[in-house]
Amino acid sequence: MLKSWKLKEIVLMSLLAVVFGIVYLLFLHVGNIWAGFIGPIAYEWIFGIWFIVSIISMYIIRKPGAAVISETIAAAIEVLLGNAVGPRLILSGVIQGLGAEAVFAATRYKRFDIWILILAGVGSSVFSFAYGYLLGGFTVFSTGYVALMLGIRILSGALLAGVGGKAVADGLLATGSLRGYAISRPKKGDARA
Amino acid sequence: MRSLLHRMNPSVKFVLITVCMFTMAFFFDPVTPLLFWAGVLLMQILFSQTDWKKWLFFMIPFFIMAFGYFWTTLVFAKETVGPIIWSIRSVHVTELQLHHALSLSFRVLAFSSLSLLFALTTNPVTFILSLMQQLKLSPKIAYGILVGFQFLPVIKDEFIQIQQAQRLRGIVQKKNTLQRLLDTRLVLIPLLAGAVRKAERSAFAMEARGFTGERRGGFFHEILVDKVDAFLGVLFLFVLVLSCTNSFWLG
Repeated sequence: MLKSWKLKEIVLMSLLAVVFGIVYLLFLHVGNIWAGFIGPIAYEWIFGIWFIVSIISMYIIRKPGAAVISETIAAAIEVLLGNAVGPRLILSGVIQGLGAEAVFAATRYKRFDIWILILAGVGSSVFSFAYGYLLGGFTVFSTGYVALMLGIRILSGALLAGVGGKAVADGLLATGSLRGYAISRPKKGDARA
Repeated sequence: MRSLLHRMNPSVKFVLITVCMFTMAFFFDPVTPLLFWAGVLLMQILFSQTDWKKWLFFMIPFFIMAFGYFWTTLVFAKETVGPIIWSIRSVHVTELQLHHALSLSFRVLAFSSLSLLFALTTNPVTFILSLMQQLKLSPKIAYGILVGFQFLPVIKDEFIQIQQAQRLRGIVQKKNTLQRLLDTRLVLIPLLAGAVRKAERSAFAMEARGFTGERRGGFFHEILVDKVDAFLGVLFLFVLVLSCTNSFWLG
């Protein structure tokens, strides 16, 4: 799978991961403190931010694996930054990435419009929730509460990761620094310059 | 003795910790995670040179989080049958609920303690090199991660520079704390644009020096698996089994 990857694409994912690794850590601290007051549901509102790297990377690079590899790298970098959540983050990174990847794979990596990006955010939400359900022991909570958590997480994934990720990547595209990546390739029907 | 955990192979440690966490996920009684937590702490006390002040500082948010889990489980529990042991207004707490709540809180503490054990005894670069050598992570990805990691201080400097430049040009005003926090989002795009350029430059530099990203037989820094790993591996599993079977020997 990695044969078709250029080194600069991998290093790009790594640097995106560094920038967002800091953002992730910031949100984690906010979430941790908030969770003391309103319980584990505190994370659900902001959960989408943790999926943003996979969506930005896939939107820019557009190759099979971009979502899952970038999210895994982001998790690894977070661990390197000295995150107290530690090595289990890498596993959650893989699972979140797989959620987004599944959506892009379903379109055969052909469509990258806003709806697909939102769906990818939802995909990450669902996958990560299943994982959290097991490790967090959500089975002991009442069904209504779990459904509320899942609903908020899906909303957060769709908005923060899907819409937010597209906004960031489009802003980046406008700076012209993404020339040389798939996102800048002319689409069918565009005038050739 | 005090350096054993630091000398342990990071990949072995990583796999062991993952196994422990997944096993713990199937227990909903308070004693198992509590015993496991005690075991992890004991190991860390015996075999590592942990800075305990730092440890406590990192643990504070998890204590808060454990408390959050505790009361949420009490209020939003699924099973509400059984003898009620105490009531606060309309919330009636049964014994089972209390068990679940304590179990989840101790689980949070055990997991965080286990993670901190890893974070405080592992060198980040050695960890990535070990992932490449023992767990067959692709060199392309491994060195890609290391490049990103090395850029961290540069990116931190750049963040401050961009912020100052924006303030100088009057794009952002120093108003209140909340406004300033919201204004940091304006730094994101320039910061990312710089990161993209750095990625391209360093990838080019690596390839110019002959980096192909192919797997190889030997490495300059070899990370080994030896007797220390076997000893600590057995110990980890011993603590895990001991805490999971507590109902047999505690009665």
